[in-house]
Amino acid sequence: MELTERELWAVIHGLGLGTLFLLAFAGGLAGIWSLREKYLTTEGMQERSPRLVLGTTIMAVVAWLTVITGTFIVYPWYRAKPPEGVSLTDQAGLGDYPRYWLLAGDKTAEWHKFGMEWKEHVAWMAPFLATAVAFAVAYYGMQLMRRGDVRRAVLIFFTLAFLAAGVAGLFGAFITKAAPVA
Amino acid sequence: MQDVQTKPNGPAAAAFVAAGIGSTVLGIFVVLNEVSPDISKFLDFSKNYGISSGVGALSGKALLATLAFIVSWVALHFYARGKEVNFSRWLGVALVLVFVGFALTFPPVFEFVVGIFKPAA
Repeated sequence: MELTERELWAVIHGLGLGTLFLLAFAGGLAGIWSLREKYLTTEGMQERSPRLVLGTTIMAVVAWLTVITGTFIVYPWYRAKPPEGVSLTDQAGLGDYPRYWLLAGDKTAEWHKFGMEWKEHVAWMAPFLATAVAFAVAYYGMQLMRRGDVRRAVLIFFTLAFLAAGVAGLFGAFITKAAPVA
Repeated sequence: MQDVQTKPNGPAAAAFVAAGIGSTVLGIFVVLNEVSPDISKFLDFSKNYGISSGVGALSGKALLATLAFIVSWVALHFYARGKEVNFSRWLGVALVLVFVGFALTFPPVFEFVVGIFKPAA
């Protein structure tokens, strides 16, 4: 029972960082949504505010780490080209070349053409959106409960960051199931 | 109530619009990469500038979008800091930019857009 270096990085990227971002979303969403004067006492707000700042900041950092490890470490293994002479239409010889393995099969090609093409791009929107959210939460701190306009924007962008990361994570899981980077 | 007791909303609005600009720039480079082989070669920062290895054009798309996000955020922050802006308008612009980014990274949409430009390229 062991993991190759490639499998380890794929786990760090997807199962570690990516999953951490997606799992933290529900808690963050509930925390931001309920950040209203009518729901919270001053003591409650003082207790919650640092946790929310820390949580959204960690989520933004995790989003950056997820796309950086995915793009610059794992992705090159996914798109590695087979050597000259290897048939690009026969999946049997393409096991070590996930992108080409997927493209060689009629039933698997769309995992790359649609799934990977969408995932590799939309994922990069998540850190932009999550960073804007983390900044707004850190900038206002406790005052966010009196800024309904900004709080709504934070909720919208937080949800959009989750959707971008969710699409990337979902297709990442499916593609890894079909053609693992190993 | 919210205007007198809280910090101005300019910096927060700037961050949201900058995130939208980064998203749109990403989407634009996704399309340009497909439309022009020359741009596609330029976007291969991993080969051209030694940033990692074997990433291909995604390296340029991602890094230029990140640069657009950071530069626009700094510029908008200095423009809007200390100001109470029309937040609804800024948020509307930010959401349109994010939507454009989402649309242009969605394969059926960017393939449709590429199909419009490619015959003339």
